[in-house]
Amino acid sequence: MARRSRREEHFPHALLHAFLAAVVLFTVYPVLWVITIAFSGKQSLAIADVPPDPTALDRLRAVLPWPAQWSWANFTSVMSDQPFARWIWNSAVISIATTLVGVFLACTAAYAFSRFRFPGRRAGMMSFLVSQMFPGVLTLIPLYIIIVQWLGLGSTRLGLVVVYATTSVPFSVWMLKGYFDTIPRELEEAAIMEGAGPGTIFWRIVLPLAMPAIAITALFSFMTAWNEFILAATFMDQETMYTAPVGLRFFVGGFQQQWGYFAAGSIIVSIPVVALFLYLQKYLVSGLTAGSVKG
Amino acid sequence: MSPSPPPSHRRRFVAGLAAALALGGGSAAFLVQSAEAERREELASRQAIAVLGALVQAVEEAGGTGDPSRDALRAWQAGQPPGVEARLVVLEGIRLEGSTAPGDAGERAAPRRLAREEKALFDQAQRLRGAVEGNREGGAPKPEVEIERLADGGRVAAAPLRVGGEVVGSVRLTLPTPPAAVAGPRLPGIGWILAAFAAFLGAAALLGERRWMLALGAAVSLVAGLWLQARAALSGLAPGAGADVTLALHAEATRALLASGGIALALLAFVGLGGLARAWRTLVENRQAYAYIAPAVLGTLVLVFFPFFYGVALGFTDSNIYNTSSPLSELWVGLRNYAAILGDFSMVRRGADGALVWNYLNFYWTFLFTVVWTITNVTFGVSFGLLLALVLDTKGLAFRPVYRVLLILPWAMPNYITALIWKGMFHRQFGVVNQVLQIFGLQPLSWFDQPFTSFLTALATNGWLSFPFMMVVSLGALQSIPADLYEAARVDGASRWQQLRAITLPSLRPALVPAVILSVVWTFNMFNIIYLVTAGAPNGATEILITQAYKFAFERYRYGYAAAYSVVIFGILLVYGWFQNRVTKATEGI
Repeated sequence: MARRSRREEHFPHALLHAFLAAVVLFTVYPVLWVITIAFSGKQSLAIADVPPDPTALDRLRAVLPWPAQWSWANFTSVMSDQPFARWIWNSAVISIATTLVGVFLACTAAYAFSRFRFPGRRAGMMSFLVSQMFPGVLTLIPLYIIIVQWLGLGSTRLGLVVVYATTSVPFSVWMLKGYFDTIPRELEEAAIMEGAGPGTIFWRIVLPLAMPAIAITALFSFMTAWNEFILAATFMDQETMYTAPVGLRFFVGGFQQQWGYFAAGSIIVSIPVVALFLYLQKYLVSGLTAGSVKG
Repeated sequence: MSPSPPPSHRRRFVAGLAAALALGGGSAAFLVQSAEAERREELASRQAIAVLGALVQAVEEAGGTGDPSRDALRAWQAGQPPGVEARLVVLEGIRLEGSTAPGDAGERAAPRRLAREEKALFDQAQRLRGAVEGNREGGAPKPEVEIERLADGGRVAAAPLRVGGEVVGSVRLTLPTPPAAVAGPRLPGIGWILAAFAAFLGAAALLGERRWMLALGAAVSLVAGLWLQARAALSGLAPGAGADVTLALHAEATRALLASGGIALALLAFVGLGGLARAWRTLVENRQAYAYIAPAVLGTLVLVFFPFFYGVALGFTDSNIYNTSSPLSELWVGLRNYAAILGDFSMVRRGADGALVWNYLNFYWTFLFTVVWTITNVTFGVSFGLLLALVLDTKGLAFRPVYRVLLILPWAMPNYITALIWKGMFHRQFGVVNQVLQIFGLQPLSWFDQPFTSFLTALATNGWLSFPFMMVVSLGALQSIPADLYEAARVDGASRWQQLRAITLPSLRPALVPAVILSVVWTFNMFNIIYLVTAGAPNGATEILITQAYKFAFERYRYGYAAAYSVVIFGILLVYGWFQNRVTKATEGI
């Protein structure tokens, strides 16, 4: 440690702290801003009213993220007067169903890709990889035609679940296959010696062992569906079928300016995903870069 | 693999021929029958239009409205078979001018005002008037006669009613179900199919197990059988009334029959030459594996791969919201969309006052903007993220975990929420950004009125949410650099700057290169930020390619054009990926 201190003498820690504090202010300010608006009890996006001939101090007050009055009004009325509770319910149902269906499809496929050698295996894996490069808008137009105009599933939860679940499959398959590959085959061979069938092996041995990876995949699936905006905005025409993201946009898009509802709703929607994200971020980084940084 | 008896070529070809004949013969019968049904429908429609034409002429000659028109209507009705009804709708006063419908008697007798539930009649008359006027002004041609098929096979046809050259209403005609056609044989020419099969059975008995002779015999039997059957079936399309319809159908049915014959031949080859047996063996041997992947593969085939190829096909059509139910082959326009997108270089022109006027809808403007957007964002993200990582990596820095969590926060927030928050903060009147400007005595800005300031709002938003990713990646890489390297460098008398250049940056490369590649693609496709923060303001100047494609599809409803636009985006990404791959490989070699 003593030797390292020489390296640091160029940069006094106080200076670094000052720099970091400035950056933290920049990153945290929008969050504090949205909290302030949410607890202000008003729909205005101004934190404080600025008098007609304001001094710099008045202006500073209008920037300081501290509401003039603390109030839960925005939270209670967004959940009761507005259809926001229903939108959250839609989002929750869609995200959970997506996760269940998507992870089930991905688990079985990833297991086959990891354990069996069969004609079409390489082609299948490669086409899943290539499908990740398809631009969203290109598939969005045909999906809209298929789901809304042909199948008549516009403004239904089923339509979104079907689309979310299948589009999440390729990524999940790659994640899970990587993990299945690390589970030693000896375990399964031992089970075969004991007379276990393939179904038993998959359900009773491989899946429990892969639980950590499955949980992570499921959480990412859930978060993707929970945060998805474009497809939901395109497919959900009826106000009662909005998902939370579409609903939040509805509060402040177009002619509406209900910033209080937006802020309160944003906080309700974000808390679970932000918590999950902070908990999961180390997996995310390794998962994203692991594929491309092979030695 | 267990030893199996040598396969019997004869059995395979017999089975293959049976399957091929069934497929070819079945589809031929189906095609001819549906062609026949189509012809009947077409003729019924033509007849309806002819009857309607005569009626319109009679009514218009009688003056179009008033009692004379009703007299003309009644006179016309007398010469019609039962079940035929006609109604005159006049737009002015929303009136039912005349009617021969049995329901329009007594209290409901014409002339009277249209009832609320008859609004469709009024709307139709208005539509027809709009079509006539639009056609006169030379817009996209619209049909001046509306014809609708009823569930029972009858027809409702409507045409505009003109008085003195102006459309005043509509004439609406209901025709009953046409008499059922004489039922022909259900499977015309089936005898030829059976004869061909029997002939091959006989030949096969003589030929034994000689494979290529069997193949030849089966192919000849198939072609002969299908050809004879098709001829018999097509001759059933008797050229009665409307010979031109029959002729067109004939040509169409012949093409379809040729295609189905080709498929049948392929099926015969597949079964007869042992392809089916091999495929079946593979399937059975790997049945577990296929069973496991089947759900996922089916799902992605239907909702990932099919949409992709369908989207590519859409790019060659002029599909839009009005014609999505027509088959793509009818909307085919070849490369016209691509020519319109890539061949339009009118990015800027001189306005009336000599100033430059940018055409923000031009592809090259959007492309240029997207490139600038991507480069500035990634540059900012990498340099800022790297700087923060270097600072946070300082040994012995207090509160490091706290800083780390707070700095990661922007990445954790759902990005559509981030976008909307920043949009609020850049509000002209109440936004905090303008308040801050005013604290320093500056004028508040209308951020979304100028392309440059509008770009800055999106840049600030995206910069805010994208630097944590780079920071986390760099931090991870920094912490994996062994400390001995620095010690050795110091022993050699290297300055801090030299250490950074010679040790830190090269060690970061393996982690940073993929992160940069990823973040270029992410930023290039960063839909939510542009769509929600600037929404392209002003006038689409700050649209990136992907939001522009979305707007063409879902605000201007030009699906075909938007699909072609997306294919171009895909092409750009492919070129980028290929180029990136080469550059990475080349630099790795050094």
